[in-house]
Amino acid sequence: MLWKLLPVGLSYALLQITLRFKDDGDLAKRLKDRDPRAMSDLYDRYGRLAYSLIYRVVRNSGATEDLVQETFLRVWNRVQSFDQTRGALGPWVLTVARNRAIDYLRSVAGKMSAGALELDRLESPVMFSNFDDRASSLDRARLLKIAFEKLTPTQRQLIELAYYEGLSQTEIAERMNQPLGTVKTWVRSALKALRDEIAGEAIA
Amino acid sequence: MSNCQDFHDDFELYALGVLDTDDQAKIDAHLRTGCTTCHAALKDALAVNAMLMSMAPEVVPPARLKRRVLAGVGVQRMSWSWLAALAASAMLLVALWLSVQERSRAAELAQARHTLIQVSAQRDRLLQALSFLNDPSTLPVSFGKGQPAPPRGNVFVHSKLGVLLIVSNLPPAQSGKTYEMWVIPKGGAPRPAGLFQSGGDSTAMHILSGPVDLSTLGAVAVTLEPEAGSAAPTTTPIIVAPVAGL
Repeated sequence: MLWKLLPVGLSYALLQITLRFKDDGDLAKRLKDRDPRAMSDLYDRYGRLAYSLIYRVVRNSGATEDLVQETFLRVWNRVQSFDQTRGALGPWVLTVARNRAIDYLRSVAGKMSAGALELDRLESPVMFSNFDDRASSLDRARLLKIAFEKLTPTQRQLIELAYYEGLSQTEIAERMNQPLGTVKTWVRSALKALRDEIAGEAIA
Repeated sequence: MSNCQDFHDDFELYALGVLDTDDQAKIDAHLRTGCTTCHAALKDALAVNAMLMSMAPEVVPPARLKRRVLAGVGVQRMSWSWLAALAASAMLLVALWLSVQERSRAAELAQARHTLIQVSAQRDRLLQALSFLNDPSTLPVSFGKGQPAPPRGNVFVHSKLGVLLIVSNLPPAQSGKTYEMWVIPKGGAPRPAGLFQSGGDSTAMHILSGPVDLSTLGAVAVTLEPEAGSAAPTTTPIIVAPVAGL
């Protein structure tokens, strides 16, 4: 009787292994279906990225662990409204992660929580639907990294202040002791340079 | 619309939520109009943001964090635990099956041992009787011949082997009673020579082992006595086999 169960068990195990390597769209669907394996796969795929991003923002490993947990919990709770057919799971997860970190920074700094509402709106799954393959590919981070290194030190600092410290342009201008208009121009040109680099590669 | 291009340059910051309130509100309002070029540009901006965010210096999270995250979501780690559970229950089933087999085998063994002991005892008695009968010095004395229904059989006496009684037509003693054999010396009182029962077929065999003084032996008798036996006969003998004069 026992010997009959063994082949069934083995093929189920193999099926589980192959399911791990499907793309994000499949992963999003499995999350929505509450597939128990899906959360583990999601963490395997984005856990380290989320941890690194949050740590870069909050600089505290204890807080980072808590915030990573919050991130994945939020993703789990909100994935139902995520469009898995053309949604970008990765960018969404990272946005949720960054927002948790920025929120934490602001609360630690004693800032008003009005910004939290805004961030909450900006991480709505709806924002991340209707992506085409080109835009959603995280593989192209390598290209962006090259482009980033081509930026001037000032441009890099501006980017880091905006992305990893969540400072508004006004706050950046104060921090860098520069006119707001100047900061705005610098930031725009930096982002444009990055955008062009990626766009240029896509066409080629 | 000429406005659009201006907006496009700010979409990354808009998506980060770091634009000043006024600029943020303007873009909100414009996106709500459903401008398709702007929505497309927004997607590109989101992709840029994702890539920049993934450029944070890599830090490896502690292993426990995965467990925490999964536990926080309420999902049990599947991993290979289902296979372990399957193996465990399989082993349990095998152990159970083996123990059942073991128990039945043990019972069979006990039964066989019991039967063997009984058979051995019977064999020993038969062998003893056989050696009695085969011995040339054994003297037979028969009793009850020619009389209807009463017990009849033979008594065999041997100076060294003792006395052997083989009897048929001896119904089983009632409950609480037993047959007792007596050796009666000439002119003397009967001496107890052992207790025995007859079988369901009303036959019995009984041996008193040990030397017997044939010169003084007068008779061998059997009475029905209480279960524990008696020192002297309490009932009239059922069997009397005179051995004097052999």
